[in-house]
Amino acid sequence: MRRRVGVLGLISGLIVLIAAVPLMFVLYSSAQLSFDGWQALWSKRLPDLMWNTLSLAVMVAIGCFILGVSSAWLIVRRNFVGRGLAIWLMVLPLTIPTYVFAHIYTTLLEEDGWLGQAWLSVFGDMVAIPDLYNVGGVTFILSIAGFSYVFLLVRSALGLSNLSLEEAARIQGASALSVFWHVNLPMLRPAIAASMALVVLHVLSDFGAVSMLRYQTFTLSIYLQMDSRFDYQGAAGLSMVLVVLSMSFLILERFSRRKQRYYSSGTQQRHVKIHRASKFEQMLIWLWLGTITLFAFALPVFWMVSWSIEAWLQDYIDATFWGYVSNSILVAGAAATLAMVCAFPVAFFHTRKRSLLSNTYIQLSSIGFVLPGPVIALGVLSFILFVLSPLYGGMAALLMALVVRFLPLAVQSQEASLQQLTPSIEQAGRILGAGPLENLRRVVLPMISGGMISAWVLVFIDALKELPATLILRPTGFDTLPIRIWIEASEETLELAAPAALMLVLGTLPALWLMMRSEARNK
Amino acid sequence: MSMAKFFVGILLATLGLNAVHADELVVYSGRKDKFIKPVIKQFTEQTGIKVVLHTAKSTALLNKLRVEGDRTVADLFISNDAGNLQIGSKLGLFQPIDDKMIGVIPEQLRASDNSWVGLSARARVLVVNTKARDVDFVKSVFDLANPKLKDRIAITHSGNGSFVAGVTVYMLGSSKDKVRNWLTGMKANAGNKLFSKHSKIVKAVASGKKDIGLVNHYYIYRHLAKNPNAPIKILLPDQSKDDIGVAWNVAGVAVSKYTKQKANAEKLIKFLISKTGQKQFAGANSEYPTLTGVAASAEVPAAGSYRVAKVPMQDLGKYRNETLDLLDAVGMP
Repeated sequence: MRRRVGVLGLISGLIVLIAAVPLMFVLYSSAQLSFDGWQALWSKRLPDLMWNTLSLAVMVAIGCFILGVSSAWLIVRRNFVGRGLAIWLMVLPLTIPTYVFAHIYTTLLEEDGWLGQAWLSVFGDMVAIPDLYNVGGVTFILSIAGFSYVFLLVRSALGLSNLSLEEAARIQGASALSVFWHVNLPMLRPAIAASMALVVLHVLSDFGAVSMLRYQTFTLSIYLQMDSRFDYQGAAGLSMVLVVLSMSFLILERFSRRKQRYYSSGTQQRHVKIHRASKFEQMLIWLWLGTITLFAFALPVFWMVSWSIEAWLQDYIDATFWGYVSNSILVAGAAATLAMVCAFPVAFFHTRKRSLLSNTYIQLSSIGFVLPGPVIALGVLSFILFVLSPLYGGMAALLMALVVRFLPLAVQSQEASLQQLTPSIEQAGRILGAGPLENLRRVVLPMISGGMISAWVLVFIDALKELPATLILRPTGFDTLPIRIWIEASEETLELAAPAALMLVLGTLPALWLMMRSEARNK
Repeated sequence: MSMAKFFVGILLATLGLNAVHADELVVYSGRKDKFIKPVIKQFTEQTGIKVVLHTAKSTALLNKLRVEGDRTVADLFISNDAGNLQIGSKLGLFQPIDDKMIGVIPEQLRASDNSWVGLSARARVLVVNTKARDVDFVKSVFDLANPKLKDRIAITHSGNGSFVAGVTVYMLGSSKDKVRNWLTGMKANAGNKLFSKHSKIVKAVASGKKDIGLVNHYYIYRHLAKNPNAPIKILLPDQSKDDIGVAWNVAGVAVSKYTKQKANAEKLIKFLISKTGQKQFAGANSEYPTLTGVAASAEVPAAGSYRVAKVPMQDLGKYRNETLDLLDAVGMP
């Protein structure tokens, strides 16, 4: 037993070391930043950046909270026509990358865009068409792009929560609202905290929407520092601040969850009763869910479809286009596979041998979440060039960056399912004569296959949409769908990006279906 | 274990992708795909040399070249901005091009050490709505800071490379203080509404939302090609004797320091500065060919018919950081 953990610890240590490469790059480069350099950053850039980034994070968190919790609550607690469909509609926005949302909405809000036209016909010239190039606009884009995470986590937590407590509160005279506020909400705290953490981390690392809408957050500013000023040290300095910020946020979140244990005493648990909604309520529910869907999915997809038809009629969809599609799917698939495999030792080591070391490993493996994509790309690029130079020029650099970026997603979902696996089952396998590897293959892996699949799917979805690292690290002449969208959009021929965006949505659908199915099965 | 096979399969398939062939010419290109593809295609048809285009933002490609060093696969670098070319040259990423070959291009439009050569030029001009009242006093870009134009001007934000290059020219042609005041006044006149794209500026001026805008000349003709009756006209600024003239910027090409195919790379450059190549390269976007004697498209004001700022293109790179600092100091969004 001892020896096996040793090997496991060694393997996960190695993986964590690779995941920490970009962090080492940042540490190394920022160590070269002179005192004056730091002072200039500190006095000129940081206050504004800090304010911009944090206020955006708070606003997006509020936006996602409102959209995600309300939709989850309605769908879990009310029975209405089309409930199954509604679940899907709330998850589908995950298929659209933030930069696509940003591009489409700026186009739609132009004077001759659909929304601009609608606005003018309602308000005329009295009220100016809203503009997305500000904190409100970015909040809107990131909220519709991110609320699905809140929806998913809160929905599963709501499904598990216990009716007895609610009834007890009602008997004591609490109103429905007060029950929600004092009973449901505290019970949901872990799920809400976890999903808020996810949302905030997405905001901190978002590159697509903020660069498109030119809202100066840390990530955009770091990118500009490298990109137009060729100042890697300044960029690294800013990254350091961002890392400290995100890390303390992550640790705080983990810490606040640690003390919370909400569970009921086994046998008495009764499942929530689902109210049948009245006709009027159904109408209101669909009005709300329908509005969310309209903006977060229907409108963008409708735009993509109509321009894709145009592109198809004009013969833009040729063999090269299908080449982009297969490139994207292969890269995302390979990255997901690698991330899934790499995440396993780290997650397994942490659940089996919980220690300061394993905890450090987990924290370090989440580097991908807290460093901006362009910085990860540059760190990986330098590493490959100086340490593994024969691998340069091929896929290795891109795959490594994608794995580093999305490893935390895979680790988290595997960790969650590993926690449900009691050690006694594993021990039983060993007693019955299975060796460690056989035990792993025949007992552990089959039991956590759900977690493995959702790890794969989560990484696949994000890798398929990934832009900044792919921009920097793709092999020469190798274009993926996000790259094409980016190129067309920067050439002011956004319409040509529509088929690529549509293919991204379609490509994500099977993966999403896989995830929803395994989730349904777990219930 | 079909799952495992699927995973291994997808990994192998991905690792088998990529691979540039040794005899292909690799061009890191920051120019719009649709403008450069036709020229490259013609080159390949004429010479049989295959070209791989790796398109991205010029600055991102420079970063890539810089980090890659001698391991780069790039043979050539094409950028839409002289500033980027000069910065690459200063970083030591390029090698000199044969003097005899590029000597046909005016000195001002290439690097003094021949590390890059301009291929097409564009002019920073004003676009004016023909029905706008009270704009007759505007003769110079500096007039855009006049309080009379409050909420009537359209400019891009300072993340736009053409905008930055233009400001550099004005800074070198006049003085830092003058440009600082100008930016401050323009910031006030533009209000909160800064434009992300030049095409949107032309659209806003054509629709009468704004009276006057600062753009690259070809955006005007692109709009007019689609809407021949749009009420807009071009205004060439700063034409009086003491004025600085119109700011130009060039797109250009450089040869990577570490190319193993210098002969073929120079063949491509030779083609790009030939008459045919020039017509294609510049004509695709109504820009000015840099080769003297090749005319721009008919709708564009002829080169030589107006004053152009006497700032060597390489200075756009030399002084870019100073411009960026100035923009930062003014707080130009």
